[in-house]
Amino acid sequence: MKTRIDSVEEITRSFAGQGYICSEQIALAIYLAAQLHKPVLVEGPPGVGKTELAKAAAAFLEAPLIRLQCYEGLDESRALYEWKYGKQLLYTQLLRDKLGGMLADTDSLEASMERLGDLGEAFYSDTFLEPRPLLHALRSDEPAVLLIDEIDKADQEFEAFLLELLSDFQISIPELGTVKAKHQPLVLLTSNDQRELSDALKRRCLHLYIPYPAAELEAQIVATRVPDLDARLREQLVAFIQHLREQDMKKLPAISETLDWARALVLLHADSLEHAQVADTLNLVLKTEQDVTLARELLPAWLRKLGKR
Amino acid sequence: MPTRRLSEFVQALRGAGLRISPDEASQAMDAAALVGYARRQRFHDALAVTLVKQQQDRPAFEETFARFFAAEDSGVDPSGDMEPAMPAPAADPASAQTPEEQQAEALLASTPEQLQQRMAQAAAEMDFTQMEVITQQGLYSRRLLMNMGMGAVDDRVLQLDQGNPSQQARAEQLRQWRARVREQAAGQVRRQFLLHGVGKGRALREQTLRAVPFRDLREFRDVQALVRKMARRLASLHQRRMKTSRRGMLDARRTMVASIRHDGVPAKLFWRRRPPRKTRVMVICDVSSSVSDAARFLLQFLYAMNDVLPRVRSFAFASRFDEITDDFSRYSPEVAVGQVLDRLSGSGTDYAEMFRAFQARCERELDAHTTVIILGDARNNYLPDGAETLQAIRRRVKQVWWLNPESRGRWNSGDAVMDRYLPHCRLARQCATLNDLERVVDSLLGALD
Repeated sequence: MKTRIDSVEEITRSFAGQGYICSEQIALAIYLAAQLHKPVLVEGPPGVGKTELAKAAAAFLEAPLIRLQCYEGLDESRALYEWKYGKQLLYTQLLRDKLGGMLADTDSLEASMERLGDLGEAFYSDTFLEPRPLLHALRSDEPAVLLIDEIDKADQEFEAFLLELLSDFQISIPELGTVKAKHQPLVLLTSNDQRELSDALKRRCLHLYIPYPAAELEAQIVATRVPDLDARLREQLVAFIQHLREQDMKKLPAISETLDWARALVLLHADSLEHAQVADTLNLVLKTEQDVTLARELLPAWLRKLGKR
Repeated sequence: MPTRRLSEFVQALRGAGLRISPDEASQAMDAAALVGYARRQRFHDALAVTLVKQQQDRPAFEETFARFFAAEDSGVDPSGDMEPAMPAPAADPASAQTPEEQQAEALLASTPEQLQQRMAQAAAEMDFTQMEVITQQGLYSRRLLMNMGMGAVDDRVLQLDQGNPSQQARAEQLRQWRARVREQAAGQVRRQFLLHGVGKGRALREQTLRAVPFRDLREFRDVQALVRKMARRLASLHQRRMKTSRRGMLDARRTMVASIRHDGVPAKLFWRRRPPRKTRVMVICDVSSSVSDAARFLLQFLYAMNDVLPRVRSFAFASRFDEITDDFSRYSPEVAVGQVLDRLSGSGTDYAEMFRAFQARCERELDAHTTVIILGDARNNYLPDGAETLQAIRRRVKQVWWLNPESRGRWNSGDAVMDRYLPHCRLARQCATLNDLERVVDSLLGALD
């Protein structure tokens, strides 16, 4: 992993090189997180590139990305480690004869116990520990970027369980004791604001809110990701998306949807937003029937206005 | 920028209602040290990343930041708008004999910049964080002037007044100069008040708002925000309680099946999840003029808690009885309340009629998971009370609660007949202030789990 980051600009440049165009606030948050060794809680509406940010950060820091997707009912055996009882039992069965042989020459119960005691360590070792993402991140030989995705979907207990990891980069495992991170990972948590996160969690993290991008930034993003799109069409498209976001929609179109639409228009060889084409491809941008209907109604007036300019 | 200035900023943010722990404050300082102060936008962003943990605090942060660091932008000195070319009357050091007089002359001899600096120093030595109400400003600016050593100048003016005409003329000059310095001191104090006092005042105000009767509450502007805040707090508190209480008994079948892999050793236990509760809340609000204020806040509160109380049906009555759930699901609570009041409000409540109408409309949906909350003053205009209908309703539901906006002593005065209804209510409380309301909703959520 890269250990020295010279400036915020270096991050912005590297992100841009990877095709992740971001505002300065985003780069600054990553910079501060890396320098202050603090986790970052990234919030924002779906589809604004929260997960992409973690990928870009991992590529920039030349560190492996370890991802933990949260869901309701996620528990430590899925997130941290699982104890492989089955394997342990199987080993005991298979080794029964061997054990019998080893214990054959002891004459008293105490002596057998003592000999077994010496072996005990072998039965509570890493062999039977199945590491899950969090443990991977802590034991990784090089510092990693740990992405805890959609933390708001996990239960509150899981959130509390993460606190130790987030503040001290360590975790307690009953069978093994406390595992401290070999190298402090850069931790990114994302949330879609499905529920309010606890104050304790927020206090331990830096907080970054990614809003829908402004027109200029969005145009830049489209230009980088879909270079084949005609410049004039790009401007029209971005303006239309921005216009849609001002409407009272059930689900507002995000950047990912803008990009999908741009790609579709390239495939269709469109050179300007014409009514028929826009109406046919609207379902790439809007995901509910209600929104599509509303947008269809808005469209003619909007196109007319655009034509006048 | 010294650490002190930043911690003052944190203080001001706390005053504006943000919750900032010492740990976060020290993070902010680390971050500020890292990015430097030269580029304002970046400095601003660094503070925002470390101090603002929820998006709804953002406007308060922006406002405080702008106010707090505005002074820095306009000039070199944070103390603000002192005109640089303030005409100080010529000093006359030769005439000063006693140390006090020399001190006064020294103050007079200082350049405007020096004077400004002196004021800033004096201000820095004072603790403005204790300022709470606007009337304290005079006291604080007097203290500030004293700390600057202006007391000596006052004496000098008095002394010169006694002297010959030329000395008297100089005294007049000094008076004008002093008046101007006073103005500046007052300005300085006003700025400090805006930073610290406003926040303190807000906390004080919130306390007051919570204890004011609903009837007077409508006059205040930021009540909506307070109601939402209280509701959010309660909601997050109960969300947690709901989760933990949901785990049920051991699922023996799944545990056994899983244990086969491990030679019959139940290595992993499975638990039955208790099915999600089917509780339903039905609220009936009296919206006649005497009670409508309380109804407004009760409904706002309940609908602000949508995440934990998903199935609320609400009804209102005054001269007519009608369901108002739709108004609330379609419009924001503020709008909905107004609509309902327009549609139904009037005088002449008839509780017996209301019970009958409610029973006729909802009887099929009343079950053991339903809680009925009635908000009203039980003033029945000397009509039959209809307690037997309430009893019939009570038999079909889990519980009936009665909230009365009047104090307990008046529950049976005049045409009020609370006594007739009380036997059928599991709980009856006075509900006249936001504090009462919060307590009621809190115990409601507790009783639902």
